[in-house]
Amino acid sequence: MSKELIRLKDVTQVFDGETVLKDVNIYFNDSEFLTLLGPSGCGKTTMLRIIGGFQTPTSGDVFFDGVRINDVPPYRRQVNTVFQKYALFPHLNVYDNVAFGLRIPKEAPDGSREKIKLSKEEIDRRVREMLEVVSLKGFEHRSIASLSGGQQQRVAIARALVNRPKVLLLDEPLGALDMRLRKDMQQELKRIQQRLGITFINVTHDQEEALAMSDTVVVINEGVIQQIGTPEDIYNEPKNAFVADFIGESNIVDGIMRADRVVEIFNRRFTCLDSGFEKDEPVDVVIRPEDVDIVSEAEGQLRGVVTSVTFKGVHYDTIVDFYGFKWLIQTTDYCPVDSHIGIKIDPDGFHVMKKSKYSGMFGDYSSYSEEYDEINDPTILDEEEAEGAEDED
Amino acid sequence: MKKNGFGGRSLIGLCFLFLYLPIFFLIFFSFNAGDSSAVWRGFSLRWYAELFHNRLVIESLATTLLVSLLATAIATVAGTFAAIGIYSLTKKWRDPILVVNDIPMMNADIVTGVALCLFFVAFFRGWGGIARWLNSWQDLIDFPERLTLGLGTLLIAHVSFNLPYVILNVAPRLRQMDSNLVDAAQDLGCTWFQAFYKVILPEIKPGIVSGALIAFTMSVDDFVISYFTAGSSTQTLAMTIYGMTKKRVTPVVNAVSTLMFLAVLIVLIVNNVRSAKQEKLAAKRASMKPIRENPRAERFREWMSTPRGKLTRRVTAAALCAAFLVTVVFLTAFTTSRPVVNICSWGEYIDESLIDEFEAETGIRVNYQTTDSNETLYSLLELGGADYDVIVPSDYMISQLIEEGMLEELDYSQIPNFQLIDPRFRNLPYDPENKYTVPYTWGTVGIIYNSAMVDEEIHSWSALYDDKYAGQVLLIGNSRDAFGIALKYLGYSMNTTNPDEIRQAYELVADANRRGVFQGKVMDEVFQTMEGGNAAFATYYAGDYLSMLENNEDLKFVIPDEGSNWFVDAMCVLKDAPNFDNAMKWINFIASTKANLRNMDYIWYASPNTEALDKYPEWYEEEYGEELDPEIYEIMAAPQEVLDRCEMYVCLPRSIRTLYNDLWIKLGI
Amino acid sequence: MRTKRGLFAVPYVIWMALFVVIPIVIMLVYSLTAEIETAGGTELTGSLENFTGMALYAGVFGRSFWLALIATAICLLIGYPVAYLMSREGPGFQRVAMALIMLPMWMNFLLRTYSWMAILENNGLLNQLFQKLGIIALYNRLTGSDIEYFQMIRTPGAVVLGMVYNYLPFMILPIYTVLTKLDHRLIEAAQDLGANSSTVFRRVILPLSLSGIVSGVTMVFVPSVSTFAISRLLGGGTQMMLGDLIENQFLGGAYNPHLGAAISMVMMVIVVICMLVMNHFGDGEGEAVML
Repeated sequence: MSKELIRLKDVTQVFDGETVLKDVNIYFNDSEFLTLLGPSGCGKTTMLRIIGGFQTPTSGDVFFDGVRINDVPPYRRQVNTVFQKYALFPHLNVYDNVAFGLRIPKEAPDGSREKIKLSKEEIDRRVREMLEVVSLKGFEHRSIASLSGGQQQRVAIARALVNRPKVLLLDEPLGALDMRLRKDMQQELKRIQQRLGITFINVTHDQEEALAMSDTVVVINEGVIQQIGTPEDIYNEPKNAFVADFIGESNIVDGIMRADRVVEIFNRRFTCLDSGFEKDEPVDVVIRPEDVDIVSEAEGQLRGVVTSVTFKGVHYDTIVDFYGFKWLIQTTDYCPVDSHIGIKIDPDGFHVMKKSKYSGMFGDYSSYSEEYDEINDPTILDEEEAEGAEDED
Repeated sequence: MKKNGFGGRSLIGLCFLFLYLPIFFLIFFSFNAGDSSAVWRGFSLRWYAELFHNRLVIESLATTLLVSLLATAIATVAGTFAAIGIYSLTKKWRDPILVVNDIPMMNADIVTGVALCLFFVAFFRGWGGIARWLNSWQDLIDFPERLTLGLGTLLIAHVSFNLPYVILNVAPRLRQMDSNLVDAAQDLGCTWFQAFYKVILPEIKPGIVSGALIAFTMSVDDFVISYFTAGSSTQTLAMTIYGMTKKRVTPVVNAVSTLMFLAVLIVLIVNNVRSAKQEKLAAKRASMKPIRENPRAERFREWMSTPRGKLTRRVTAAALCAAFLVTVVFLTAFTTSRPVVNICSWGEYIDESLIDEFEAETGIRVNYQTTDSNETLYSLLELGGADYDVIVPSDYMISQLIEEGMLEELDYSQIPNFQLIDPRFRNLPYDPENKYTVPYTWGTVGIIYNSAMVDEEIHSWSALYDDKYAGQVLLIGNSRDAFGIALKYLGYSMNTTNPDEIRQAYELVADANRRGVFQGKVMDEVFQTMEGGNAAFATYYAGDYLSMLENNEDLKFVIPDEGSNWFVDAMCVLKDAPNFDNAMKWINFIASTKANLRNMDYIWYASPNTEALDKYPEWYEEEYGEELDPEIYEIMAAPQEVLDRCEMYVCLPRSIRTLYNDLWIKLGI
Repeated sequence: MRTKRGLFAVPYVIWMALFVVIPIVIMLVYSLTAEIETAGGTELTGSLENFTGMALYAGVFGRSFWLALIATAICLLIGYPVAYLMSREGPGFQRVAMALIMLPMWMNFLLRTYSWMAILENNGLLNQLFQKLGIIALYNRLTGSDIEYFQMIRTPGAVVLGMVYNYLPFMILPIYTVLTKLDHRLIEAAQDLGANSSTVFRRVILPLSLSGIVSGVTMVFVPSVSTFAISRLLGGGTQMMLGDLIENQFLGGAYNPHLGAAISMVMMVIVVICMLVMNHFGDGEGEAVML
């Protein structure tokens, strides 16, 4: 089923001497829901703009269906975009916004001079159909300003999809919505994508959103692709400390691979499921907070002191100090602060990674609250916004 | 929010009263039957009727509208694109550009005007060579070798000061616009220009409209920059009015302004009503609940999108464009075309029907302009700001112009009417061989006083320096006359080149000034002031006294015993005048007895034409059915024994002119 | 994509360079040269005499700046309250008021000033009114003087009045624009924090409207200091101002463009310095010029 649709080959993008994307090689398949995930300024929006045609890469090539499209302007690409903050035309109503693209005469695919112009009836039919898809029937004559955020979002999606693109690009589509609406729209987007069966390329910094919606997640940092995989792969088998930390919560500690399936941390050896490392190779070990069981001090493989407990509804976020290293443990058992506890980790609870340049930078919960918040904070500026903000003064 | 109470509103009201008081006054006097803007003579619409016959006003109005419309159109289009361009630049480039953009707004108008004027003059000086080279190098286009200030420079100046306003109004709109909108449009299949047309333009339209409106208003209201860049063969309404404020603003100007004012008022009212309606509609729509629009609006919208509606919309747009084009073309055609003769004279110095008559007779279009003094005329000529054919300077200026080689010898074979000029006015010292000039008028300078305010008979200049009349004396507003009179009073020649004598004269005037004898320095403002009885004494020209007498019978005129100045204003042709033959025709026409009689009657200055001078009392009686007061005739055409007491100015050497000027400024401080 | 659009600015940049920057450079060149009388006529040489000789005009400089300063202060004193009161009115009132402020510009300012002449004359509207109301008689009785009218025209006061009258809208408009954009919640926040209305005004509204005041002051002061028509019409030639001086060097009797350019230069520099000092207090001038 999955045929390759878009490929970026050795794409590098430099702005004012600053490398935003570095030798990116990636392909996108037909009818998949793919998410570009990364923190602000990682280059994910730039990648999207290169695909959309709003940016010409400094070097490297972009292929669409095997044809190089570096110099094809956006209006000739079979790609449409849902912009950050939607970019709906405020002077047009809902109907006219959606009909906008259809009313532009398009060049025929065979390159003939005659431009294709849709009939009024055809336009009307397609607009109404699309409004129905996004559940906005009856909103045709409303002005954009009178719509709620979620409704605007739907208009933006309809406006892009009505042109029947092969690929829909979504630039932080849910960033401006509140939590609950965001959850609903995730479902909605997934539903629409499945219904239309076209490729969606979504850009976000929200890892939860990425995991929930995507067939494939691409984790990017500092202009370099860190990992490509299914949400499960990304979560369970992060390639390096950055990915492990960025996706979900992780305790990352230094370890040494003493043998296949034997890893040593805090001078203790544990059984794990990983193999294929050199003997005595220093590694990063990821332990997800939910994979740790709290047991009595005596039973524990490791012993520590509880330093803080936060009730999260389903579980408690418990911070435990092990030999000066703070771990986050998510458990349904309540352990009061200052209580001494032991922990137990099953072999499948360990994930061993090769050392990378991110080693030692993540996975410590000493400054717990800030880091935890940052990842969930939707207000953090994206790179484009940051650029726009600089423009403004 | 708390609204203002009665106190607050009345403060706003007072402010508006202050702003509108003079305007009401102006409108009120546009309905005056008399021609004064101070004395009410009853209601009449005559000035509105006369408006259509007043060439000066109509032509300058046409120029104003033409320049303002063109400048606004150019500045709006260029400014909008420029704003988009500037906005897409990086800060490094944008900031210096915006600083330059601020210059015309921050700079005083007069500095902008002066700088542009000097730029044009410098360019014109260099242009001759370039044009010759271009013409020798190709013969496809014939470049004119001599350029002058005029419509082109005026337009450039207006575009320059309009551009910043447009940019300042468009830029914030662009800044507010989501930068993704353009990307979105392109994403949906628009080329950049389609995106510009369909998205950017509607988004920034309010900014463009207000920018254009401000630019247009500024253009129409501008005086200072136009004054320095238009030369004076082209005059805007403001310049015409400025020329008039010195003498007497004809109520025709009040009438024109009232009409413009009303037109704008109506536009504003219509616009206000419309935007109020729109606002209500928008408010309704914003209040989420009923999404149904006004059914009529909906029907209208639907109709608009039918082919017929679209056609109507297009036709309306096309009609508007066409109207604009026609206006421009018409106005251009109005100001150029047909053989022309360019005249520069003084304000209110001709019976304007003569111009129409000449045009009818010869088919030559007369471009009749005015300046306010010999000195201004000289400056304009020096600056290359004038492309006149015929000028009418006074005696001393003529000799200076001849000396500097700025005049062309006349072809007297084409001016048979020169024979009618009284020998007394030929071969005068300023043009001893009479090769350059044909006299236009002559007259004397004397004291004008208000007998209702002065008990004695005046015979001496001493009254002007007398404490008895402190605050009642108007000093004549140019150095030559003011010091000349003082010299005469002191018993020296008006043409002395002895700096000590001139300094004595200065001391006399300065001393009286310190004692508060003078109410002010006036030139043509003297009309309004004397007619309104606002001052007791003035020094001015006999002919102008007679005009004032029509509005105030208490005024008296006397040439003091010490003697005075007598002058001749004569028609001359500038070197390299482009329309020499037409100029000869004009001069000949004006030198005719008929024209002299009519001019004499209209402006009350004496004619140099023997026949006209002799026949005038007779002609007057025929025309008005009453006898001409011999006293008036004597004032108009001073008898020879009076002229013998008087001196004619000669051109002073440069150093003395500088001295006059320095002393004059010292007096003003 | 973005940088390409920068090309749209090119014609504009060329235009501004040609007709704004170069003219000022030429003016500078003019101001640094003078015509010297020689045996064979006149000759152009580089010289500073235009500047050194300017001491003669110190009085004119002083008067111009003094009168313009007074006019600006009065405009601010009238304009600020009016702008403030206007900004508190309903939208309909505001729209009408704005229109009414712009409207007088369609009557040429010379004509409006000329109209003031007729009002201020010794025998003019105001004096007649004073006479009818017995104010002049009252004044005579109180002071023991014997006047028939108040001398209003051809005084510095008349010139200041002319400036205030002509440029007051330029003070009201920018302040009004800034005030209407003021976030009303800030005032509420201040009130919430215990500020009474005068404190709110002093500590919140006034500082926030400073940029409007700065551009208003600029837009009144600059044309006031350089005016020549107003001083000529209402000052009756007794109140020579910088504008008159400059005009006199170009199109008047004194004909000396070099000196005129020098005076313009000096005036420009002084004004720019004043504006830089002013801009120190608030930025964003220009934006307030919007409708």
